Formats: sequence, structure tokens, C-alpha cells
Amino acid sequence: MPEPVIASVGASPLGRTDLPGRDLFSVALAEAFDGLPNPADLVEAVYVGNQSESYEHQIMHGTLLAEWAGLRHVPAERVEGCAAAGALALRHAVKDVRNGEHDAVLACGVEKMTSAGTSGATDALSAAFDRAIEQRSGVTAPSQYALLAQRYLHETDATERDLAKIAVKNHENAAHNPRAQFPKEIDVATVLESDAVAPPLKLYDCAPVGDGAAAVLVTTAELAASLDRPQVRVAGSGASANNIAVAERNMTEIAGARIAAETAYEEAGIDAEAVDIAEVHDAFTVCEALLAEAAGFAPTGTGYQSYENPAERTDGWTDVQLSPSGGLKARGHPIGATGLLQALEAYEQLTGAAGDRAVEGAETALLLNEGGVADAVTVGHVLTTAEVS
Amino acid sequence: MTDALDASDPRTLPGFFDALAEGELLGGVCADCGEVLLPPRPACYACGSRAVDVEPQSPNGRVFSYTAVHTPPPAFAGDAPYTIAVVELADGGRLLGRLTADYADVAIGDSVELTVREPTPQEQQVALDYEADWPVHVFEPR
Repeated sequence: MPEPVIASVGASPLGRTDLPGRDLFSVALAEAFDGLPNPADLVEAVYVGNQSESYEHQIMHGTLLAEWAGLRHVPAERVEGCAAAGALALRHAVKDVRNGEHDAVLACGVEKMTSAGTSGATDALSAAFDRAIEQRSGVTAPSQYALLAQRYLHETDATERDLAKIAVKNHENAAHNPRAQFPKEIDVATVLESDAVAPPLKLYDCAPVGDGAAAVLVTTAELAASLDRPQVRVAGSGASANNIAVAERNMTEIAGARIAAETAYEEAGIDAEAVDIAEVHDAFTVCEALLAEAAGFAPTGTGYQSYENPAERTDGWTDVQLSPSGGLKARGHPIGATGLLQALEAYEQLTGAAGDRAVEGAETALLLNEGGVADAVTVGHVLTTAEVS
Repeated sequence: MTDALDASDPRTLPGFFDALAEGELLGGVCADCGEVLLPPRPACYACGSRAVDVEPQSPNGRVFSYTAVHTPPPAFAGDAPYTIAVVELADGGRLLGRLTADYADVAIGDSVELTVREPTPQEQQVALDYEADWPVHVFEPR
């Protein structure tokens, strides 16, 4: 079986931008193909992660972005799974290369979230919840995650201050990331004193609304070598859907994320202890705590210690560093692009291109990208340096 | 496989909401593993069985988790802040809904009761055609 690798990455600016979605994509694509042949000379298929047509009244993103890349008559499609759309696009590209169907596939994602203000984004995101019961009750993304956070604080030793420290840590990481939407440090008081959004979650517990696009070129190892590109192996990929309604799931044991991570570990032939860095879906601070546990990094009820240096964490924790990019919280969370921004961070970390946020000696990365609330759908990928044995 | 479903069957949403409008909360109960499915549906998510019975569910339950919405969707802008809860019902199912209590007055474990009301004109305005007459369930403190 051909071994899929990531051969190049690119992203647009993140946050409030003056570019529509297709133009954000053009910026991301130009970075990814800098120094490479034109996409038309390489790319055999396109997958586009995209959450919602309500931002730009546009579907058909496969067709549109293939065209904007100068491609014609290639298979191209939009992939939808709310905020997991980006990693689903990556997973499809990886499978196509692994299956031998294509030698080079473009996985990309785009979201123009600022087109209709905060209430427009709130409304668009609520479409990810069960319509009959959840949407009609007026629940929102922050309030869904607040229901998880309330349970987590009830069942564990974690406090609102611990959750705040996760936000502080991720902002600290983002301060060293030139791509970040919020490249600035904050303190615990800023988080704790920020406006209530859905208690116990406050404004600074929440990832921001923002625009963005990302492009990831997945190829065979041979093709990447012939292009003379640094390459990162995609050693494992897993995905799992769980119930759409949060009330029907275990709200503090994120089973779908555990299955997605374990499937990716198994394909890669590793266990959780081998993971050096992880980009997890910290759309809200509590998510990082829950996903640290689901990924096997932390004993049950201690995932909130992700903000501590490895030596300070409780026994049973691995030495993994979480969200070196700043995470969704501070790097940014343009929904359909997020899973690919996670892959971009891992690519830069594993190829020595992460500048002064580089995690020393990082050879293995886990990506966990979720859509809907928590594990309504989760996609996990294990990326490794080309040299790792 | 069972007979084809139609809109009178409580394992479809119209069938479920017709019963709810009469004050009856119906759940699916898996004949193989006992899982309670709210609303009822043709297959059990816990074990995959398609042998799902429809049975009345107690409206009484306890708060499993709760929050308050301060940044509502446009359709509910006038209601905020409002309290949302996940309630564990006495017969074992869990259901999300509005709770008619101030956030500060709620705690996990509080006893609540499911009540049913007609949709408000404002709710009907944002409803899809087929939803326009569906009732709305609301939890009240007991």
C-alpha cells in the first residue's frame, strides 16, 4: 500500500478578514504551492471541508475551489461534518492515496464566519444540533459545551480557575504563532472576569468566530520526495460518529474521541505514551481537558491539568504538550478549516518549521478534530516525522 | 424489519409530537437491551436492535446538568438569559430542554417535571412548515 504523506501546507490569515471564502482559499493555496508545480500538474482530486452555506449562500465548494485552483475535470467535493469537516477532508485524501487511487490529493477547508456577525454564526452553528429537541429549545454551541463543563466540574476536582488556566496556556502558545488570530498572552483574572456566555463558561473559555482557509497536499512518499519537499507521514486515521443529541451521550467520557484516537494509534502501531504533541479540539476550554482523557494522555478526571508542565501533572499523565499552536482558542477556529490548521501545525512542528514555539524533539503528533457537540463526530490522525521508526 | 412507518407512528417525529400535544411523553424502549430512546426511533443506538417498543414515560426527573444561554440564536433573542437543562427522567431516558428557573436557583439533582405548551407566535414564525404546530416541552421545578 502506498504510504500517504503531507508534502505541503498553507493557510490564509485568520480572524476578521476582508476576503470572501474562495479568496481566502486562494491565499492558502498559494502558500501551499509556493515552489511547487501548478496544482493542475499535480492534484488528482479535491476535498473541501466547509461547515455552512449560510455564511456565503454557497455550496458546491468542491467544484468552485477546484476551478479557482486551475483544476478541471477532477473529482471534487465538499465534505460536511460541522467543525470536523476539515479532518474528514484530510481523511478522504489520505485514504485515496493509501488505496492507490491517486498520487496527490488536495485537502482544504474554508469558512467565512464573519459575514453575518455573531448572531449569524450562532445561528449557523446551531444547525449542528438535533433540530427536533435541541434547536427548538434554543440551545447554542457555548451552552451545549457548558452542559459538559458543568458535569465535568461536578464530577472532578477541576475548578473554573483550572479551565481558565487552559485558556491562558493556549494564549501563551499562540503568542509565539505568527498565524494566530489572538497572538497575545492573557491572565487568569481576564478569563474569570470575562462576560458570562453560558455559565460556567465565560467569553475567554470560548474559541473565537473568525474567517480562514487552509490547504494540505497529501501525496505518496515517492512523489513528495521527487518534489523535494519535507514530508510528514500520516501513520494513522480514525473516525467515529456518536449520537447527535448531547443528552444521550456520556457527557464526561468522550467515547467517540477515544475510538478515533485509538483507531489512529492502532494503525500507526503506537500507544498514547508515544505522542509528543497533540492538537485537540479545544473549541471551549473544557474540551481540552475531556480530550486529554479520551486520547489516553491523562487519568480520568485529571485532563484539566493540561496547562501544567509535564513534571507538575498527576501520576499517570504522559509528557504530551497540548495545543502548541494556541489551539482553537487562540490560534483560531474557522470551522471547516480547523482540522487542516491542526495538520498544518503538526507539519510545521515535525519538519522543524515551528520557530520559537517548536516543541523540542517532537516526532509524533495526534490530531483530534470534532464536529457537532463533542464527539457527535470525531476524526483522529497520527502524524510522524519521516525518520521515526 | 417492521411495517413501513407513517406519520401516525410515534417512532416518527409527527407521531411523537402528536402524542406530546396530548400531554403524553412517549419513549422508545429497546426490546433487546432496555435502552430508552427520546424521542422514539426505529433503531436502538445502544445495541442496533430494530425491535423498539413505544411506551409512556414519566414526566418526572432530576437535573443532570444545566446552564444559561446569554448569547441566544436570533430566533430566541428576546428570551435571554434562559436556563437549559439536561434532565434524567424517572424511567431512565435523558432529555434536553428549557427549565423555568433562574440559573442561580438550580443545582444538579433538583427535581423537575416535564410540561408541554403550544408554540408561541414567535416560535411558529421561525418554524418549518411541518413543525408549526408541534408543542414545546419545558421543565418546571417541583
